[in-house]
Amino acid sequence: MRAVAVVAFLAGPAVAADMPPVPSFTEETASAGIDSTYTGEWEYMVGGGAAAFDCSGDGFPDLFLAAGEGKSGLWRNASARGGALRFEKVESGLELDHVTGAYPVDIDSDGIMDLVVLRVGENLVMKGEGQCRFTPANTAWGFDGGDAWSTAFAATWEKGDAWPTLAVGNYIDRTQDAFPWGSCTPNWLHRPNAEDNGFAPPVALKPSYCALSMLFTDWNLSGTPSLRVSNDREYYKGGQEQMWKVLPGQPPALYTKVEGWKYLRIWGMGIASADVTGDGYPDYFLTSMADNKLQTLAPPLKEGKPVPGFADVAFARGVTAHRPYAGGDVRPSTAWHAQFEDVNNDGLADLFVAKGNVSNMPDFAANDPNNLLLQDAEGKFHEVGDKAGVASMAVSRGGALTDFNLDGLVDLVVVNRHSPAQIWRNTTTGAGHWLELKPSQAGANPDAVGGWIEVRTGDRVQRRELTVGGGHASGMTGWWHAGLGAADSADVRVIWPDGQAGDWQPVAADGFYRLERSKAAQDWTP
Amino acid sequence: MLLHAVFARATANFFGNTGPTGQRAMAAMAEKYGARVSDGLAPEVAAASVAQGSAVADHILAWSQGDGGAVVENMGFPLAFTPDTRPGHWKPTSTIAQQQAPLLPGWGSNRPFAMPAADACGLPPPPAYSEEKGSQFYAEAFETYEAVRNLTPEQTAIARFWSDDPMLSTTPPGHWMQIALALLEDEDAPAARRAEVMARLGITVADAFIACWQAKYEYDLIRPVTYIKKVIDKNWEPLLITPPFPEYPSGHSTQSGAAATVLTAIWGPDFAFADGSHEDDGLPERAFPSFWAAADEAGISRLYGGIHFRAAIEQGLEQGRCVGAYAVALKMGAQA
Repeated sequence: MRAVAVVAFLAGPAVAADMPPVPSFTEETASAGIDSTYTGEWEYMVGGGAAAFDCSGDGFPDLFLAAGEGKSGLWRNASARGGALRFEKVESGLELDHVTGAYPVDIDSDGIMDLVVLRVGENLVMKGEGQCRFTPANTAWGFDGGDAWSTAFAATWEKGDAWPTLAVGNYIDRTQDAFPWGSCTPNWLHRPNAEDNGFAPPVALKPSYCALSMLFTDWNLSGTPSLRVSNDREYYKGGQEQMWKVLPGQPPALYTKVEGWKYLRIWGMGIASADVTGDGYPDYFLTSMADNKLQTLAPPLKEGKPVPGFADVAFARGVTAHRPYAGGDVRPSTAWHAQFEDVNNDGLADLFVAKGNVSNMPDFAANDPNNLLLQDAEGKFHEVGDKAGVASMAVSRGGALTDFNLDGLVDLVVVNRHSPAQIWRNTTTGAGHWLELKPSQAGANPDAVGGWIEVRTGDRVQRRELTVGGGHASGMTGWWHAGLGAADSADVRVIWPDGQAGDWQPVAADGFYRLERSKAAQDWTP
Repeated sequence: MLLHAVFARATANFFGNTGPTGQRAMAAMAEKYGARVSDGLAPEVAAASVAQGSAVADHILAWSQGDGGAVVENMGFPLAFTPDTRPGHWKPTSTIAQQQAPLLPGWGSNRPFAMPAADACGLPPPPAYSEEKGSQFYAEAFETYEAVRNLTPEQTAIARFWSDDPMLSTTPPGHWMQIALALLEDEDAPAARRAEVMARLGITVADAFIACWQAKYEYDLIRPVTYIKKVIDKNWEPLLITPPFPEYPSGHSTQSGAAATVLTAIWGPDFAFADGSHEDDGLPERAFPSFWAAADEAGISRLYGGIHFRAAIEQGLEQGRCVGAYAVALKMGAQA
């Protein structure tokens, strides 16, 4: 019956040929058991993150929500598979104040997810102890949490290291109340110590330009990710968007104009990445105020290799998302968290963007609905936030799209400033087929951060880079989702972080698979 | 204290739409400077000074509400706009959705300060539009095309120095204000002189924008990037970001001509100075033998940047000279 429904949905005459199927989301904030508000004034005008990851070991993503000046908290996912979303707040050790955001990453590679907590003040690395309990590990791991206004994060494993490299982005010098412009404080690169069992003192990434999002990403498929940094032009002097070469054993170095880097100044607030163009390379959506950017590698190649210059194709592809599309407020938008996920399982990455005024700025929209932009077969995007039911007018910041109830449909949580976080269940009927995949490898970097998942249906290959970072103060890990459209099976493989490609393995659609290195794909049932 | 009250009121008015950081900074500055200037003053004197300063500011601000430019919406871009599709007319040059309409098409209707009318410094029309190789229009376009293709390091530095992009810098009028403020600081000028210099300069750059925008939308001329890509070389790119509004005349040229006229009247025709306005952005100081030398360089920088033709620069500078003369003629201070 499901297969029949899929075919009918994808080929149905009720939908225009170029319009992707519109998903349906049902808000379950009131019944889901989540009650968290991102609070605080000036020092919390940015941030407001969510972290979605499994801390209980049952496979369902649990949820950490930043609460700014209030106490942040952890909610264990108690949803039944395919059922309504339900969470239970648990004592976890993450009841922390002054939190702006958080990113899950298994720092000590023990198979239990840890959490990096960004704060106004000292950042914390919280070691996962299992069963959703966490303990501070700054001292044990030699992590210098500093004392800054931290607003961005990314992580990678550099080649040969057992311990990850963490990048922390910092914002304004918060002691400069009368004239903070030009006071951007240094970002930090926390690399492994000489013993490779903890962190060395952080290196300042100078110059720094008030980062609001960072992402380690292998933009040129070289096998070594670089660090993209999106910066808020409101506060820097002489700044721009940045990308750092982070080569093992060498000091970080910025890509330069001579190498092809193109000067861009935006109110950078969030980074989302996906291979939108289908050329195998990641593309980047950068959130800002008014127009947002969708960057793809700009030709020409130099000696057959890509140069670090990007062209903005947001206008051509319909993802500028510069103004509210509903609610009647026509002033420019303010965009924060962004994430590509296939919300209708048609095999094409769609885009969610959280929107909300910085703080009663009259030149920008007050009623600024979140966006849900569906990608069509020609690579153009169509706004359906209101039709899909996610056009919240709350002042949104961070968020996460992940499958909370493990039914193969990507759900949504959004953190709001001064109002409660909202959660939606994806209740689309007759969506396409799907897969959810979880790579793992023995030893360091068990979740294969820096690797790629490839899903092949027919002659088309979807590629997904496994990253830690990006978005706006929000991170997620766990099952990586792929829509398959009408295909009822696919071949999957992992390109591991060391560059080795696993074998293609056939899998049936609509299932969960553990992709353990050098082993056959293992079917998993919640 | 009176002046402080005026500035506190005016700052809150002009920057009232800024974000939480700006609001916080304005409050902190008002408190900090208020405490400094009221130190030692009798409370009744301080209160009376604040009251009078606020009244002066309120009076001027009330007058400003009717000048046509008091409210700017959508960052100055109309929500709907239909470009003139005839050859030679302006077309959007960017892929920014908001900039598919040109910036502030009605700004030329604003009430000027010293000029008698927005078109008091009118311009001859630009060279007639033509795509023929022998035409003057083609020749000017080819000059811009070739200039960008063969930029020297010095020309590139000039283009960058005067780029003054809106929202990324202090803008062209702000650049000239930085120059004047630095000179006033150098000579430790008394408050009255500072007020007069900034008033004349502020008036003339405001008038210059009105005059320039009146002409821009009268002629509605195509930008070099549009013409050159269509007629000469589809792969050509300008050095600078092409501003999202018609080409003729060059706004920076009108601005600079007006500012140079005012500053020359104050400091003299051969006043040499150094301009370090962009040192924070990593652009080194540039030295000029006169204000007009700086204005000429600001004008030609737009050709090096690939965003203007020569006629827009030359006529813009002349328009600025005309606009500036009205501000120079104002009676202020001891003259009044």
